[in-house]
Amino acid sequence: MMKSILKTFAAALVAASALTAVTAATVTIASAETVLRLDEVAVGELDPGKASDYADSILMFNVYDTLVIPNQGAPGHQGHLAESWTVDGNAFTFKLRPGVKFHSGNTLTAEDVVFSLDRMKALGQGLSYLFEIVDKAEAVDEGTVKITLKSAYSPFVASLVRLPIVDKKLVMANLGAGDGEMKDWGQAFLSANDAGSGAYKVTSHNPQQETVMAKNADYFLGAGAKAPDTVRLRYGLEAATVRTLIAQGEHDISSQWLPPEVLKSLAGDGAQLLTESGTSGFYIKMNTTKAPLDDVECRLALANAFDYDAGIKMVAINDSVSQGKPSTGAILVGMLGANPAEMANKRDLEAAKAHLAKCKYKPEDINLELSWIGEVPLEERFALLMQANFAEIGIKSEIKKLPWALFSEQVSKPENTPNISQLFVSSVTGDPDTLLYGMYHSSAKGTWQSPEYLQDAEVDKHLDEGRTATDDAGRAAAYSALNKRLVAIAPSIYAYDQVAVFAASKRVSVPALTDPAKAFNLSGFGFTFRLMEMNE
Amino acid sequence: MPPVLRLLAKRLGTSLIVLIGVSLLIFAIARVIPGDPARIALGPNATAEAIAALRERLHLDDPFVLQYGYFLADLARGDLGISLYTNRPVTQDIADYLPATLELVLVAGLMMVALGLPLGVLSARYRGSWIDHSVRMVMLLGVSAPSFVWAVILMLLFAFYLPLFPIAGRISDSYAISPVTGFLLVDTLIAGNVRAFGNAAWHIVLPAFALALSGIAQAARLTRSNMVETYERPYIEMAKSYGFPEKRIAWRYAFKPSLIPSMTIIGLDFAAMLGNAFLVEAVFAWPGLSRYGVAVILRKDLNAIVGTVLIISAMFLIVNVIVDLLIAFINPRIRHSQRAS
Repeated sequence: MMKSILKTFAAALVAASALTAVTAATVTIASAETVLRLDEVAVGELDPGKASDYADSILMFNVYDTLVIPNQGAPGHQGHLAESWTVDGNAFTFKLRPGVKFHSGNTLTAEDVVFSLDRMKALGQGLSYLFEIVDKAEAVDEGTVKITLKSAYSPFVASLVRLPIVDKKLVMANLGAGDGEMKDWGQAFLSANDAGSGAYKVTSHNPQQETVMAKNADYFLGAGAKAPDTVRLRYGLEAATVRTLIAQGEHDISSQWLPPEVLKSLAGDGAQLLTESGTSGFYIKMNTTKAPLDDVECRLALANAFDYDAGIKMVAINDSVSQGKPSTGAILVGMLGANPAEMANKRDLEAAKAHLAKCKYKPEDINLELSWIGEVPLEERFALLMQANFAEIGIKSEIKKLPWALFSEQVSKPENTPNISQLFVSSVTGDPDTLLYGMYHSSAKGTWQSPEYLQDAEVDKHLDEGRTATDDAGRAAAYSALNKRLVAIAPSIYAYDQVAVFAASKRVSVPALTDPAKAFNLSGFGFTFRLMEMNE
Repeated sequence: MPPVLRLLAKRLGTSLIVLIGVSLLIFAIARVIPGDPARIALGPNATAEAIAALRERLHLDDPFVLQYGYFLADLARGDLGISLYTNRPVTQDIADYLPATLELVLVAGLMMVALGLPLGVLSARYRGSWIDHSVRMVMLLGVSAPSFVWAVILMLLFAFYLPLFPIAGRISDSYAISPVTGFLLVDTLIAGNVRAFGNAAWHIVLPAFALALSGIAQAARLTRSNMVETYERPYIEMAKSYGFPEKRIAWRYAFKPSLIPSMTIIGLDFAAMLGNAFLVEAVFAWPGLSRYGVAVILRKDLNAIVGTVLIISAMFLIVNVIVDLLIAFINPRIRHSQRAS
């Protein structure tokens, strides 16, 4: 009997080996086409009107075009679909670049811009809040669009990097079920199809697997000769899988969410580390409505007791690359109104004790609730660091894990909001307004960004000045004063300026993520595929 | 009514009651997970109006009983609603992702039977020998680590250090196979593309083996212990004294009665694999329903949670019915008990 079983096993083994050999030989199909493979943790939202997170932004910036784009290696913006624009009070008039075609072959006109803006406002999702300020948009003629704001808003041009222009004719021909004249505003169609004019066209989209994009040979700026012909954006790959795929040459760029030790290991194997910085920061937020952090002296005691250098070391990948840079205040280094890099926050235990002595609450009566978001394991390490740091000045604390869904519900009421929350917050347009207004203006309190519940007239005044000042110097002065005030009243501990780090194979060159002179001050814009180069 | 049909009718009846119970339970559980599904779906920056509109569309502000009534009415029309995670009908998501999981689980199930049972027989037959000890060692390893640990170990061993198998996905990017059944091993053959079939088979080996390993070990352990017990029965002694060949005694007189408990466990393991597959699917980037199920739970995608759990429960029940029928087919006493009842 044993002989026959062994025979069966042997036969199965031979068959399996033969099959493996045949298939291994057949998958190596010679092709001149260059393919870029990258991954993101979450499903990419293909509908540009709903785009908000990193994967969505990568899709949006490559499949769709916007009126303006950020300058490369410099602050400010430049025309993209807009050739030029004029500002008259609260009215912005944009002259469109002629002859731009959508992937469908339709010509891009002012009607498409108006439709895209109306659609975004009607959906009320993603980053549509950026355009609540818009009173009306009108097509003056085929190549001119006029947008009138309800009130003065200086960073409006910066917001336009988040207004992707969709093909109105194509969307209108594919409206799904819904109420009213516009039915579903094409949501069902745009969640699975592309209606853009960008440098890449979507060839397939599987929300759980990947989005495949092909280079648009007719792109109005021309398709980069060495840019990848095909891009496969994969979703939800495990860190171990990405680690193995990159090492085997079957993957090109990882997401930024790999654990530091995996990034370090990949770098050790020869992978390059790409970085993007200047758009987001790690904020430790203090609930200013509850004892003891309703006392500014107590908050300053914690801000001085926090070990900033240890925090940076915790996110370091190697001696030269870290997922964090020292923070200098509420505004990220390099942004309008920021302090220079030399003014990095430092731990000062003596100052912490002095502030604590002035606090109306006794340290022995304090027991802080340190929360961390369950989906972000790194925050647990920071909670432990804070617990140790605060214990050194005699403050006890308890660590509490909160899933994101529960956290976002709890922060809607100040009494339910933990004493301390940890959040990564980014400027979605590269302008300090979209970084700070949602966090610190009293009208914006009680959202996931603002568990501080800050109500400070001076902060409000500076934030409003930042919106209304018409020149850069005036805005810089407003934000500089705001930064000073936010450091003085410490609603948050400004832990570090975040650096997104991606591991990449040597097959691809990404100047926007390796050379500061070619970087963009907009999260995700470094993943503009037409500016990448495939090396083999 | 023939006894087997009577058994089938009885099992299908109880399965239907179980399914209704599961639907009610999961419908309630999905609604008590923390977080507002509308807010999660629309993102942290959605306007209050958009959130209110979605809550209304999902009937989230209605009483629970009314919500369940809407759900049952939609279910009767075959409509499980729209997934807030993928923005597609849940039925379409299930149709897209279920075949990938079923294919993986079926291949793993085949491995479980094809390897687990012979290993158990081999171990029992050569009890106390080095073969028995080796097989028991493998069984111990198989049951002592969960499938995702094996997934990572197998990937490291056979895709990284010894790159014999692919790391991720169901088929290489160079093949474009039009879906007919959703089972790539079938669709590649329908397309007449033998190379693509080989490629799909090559992709499924590691994830299926990782998923099957604990089941193989369970089946082997159970078969071995049952066979060892059966070998000690007087009728085996008698068969030996009559001089029947060892092979005949092993397969015909010892194996068949030992198979019944193994079959029950294999059936349960097989059905459990539908739920357990998610970590293996995650490690091997296998676009299946289990991975989808976890993603929708994390996003509190109510429609998709209920749809996925219902489908997995239905599969679980179907497998159990099939196992019951198979056991009745193998064991005449069960058939006769149905006749008597």
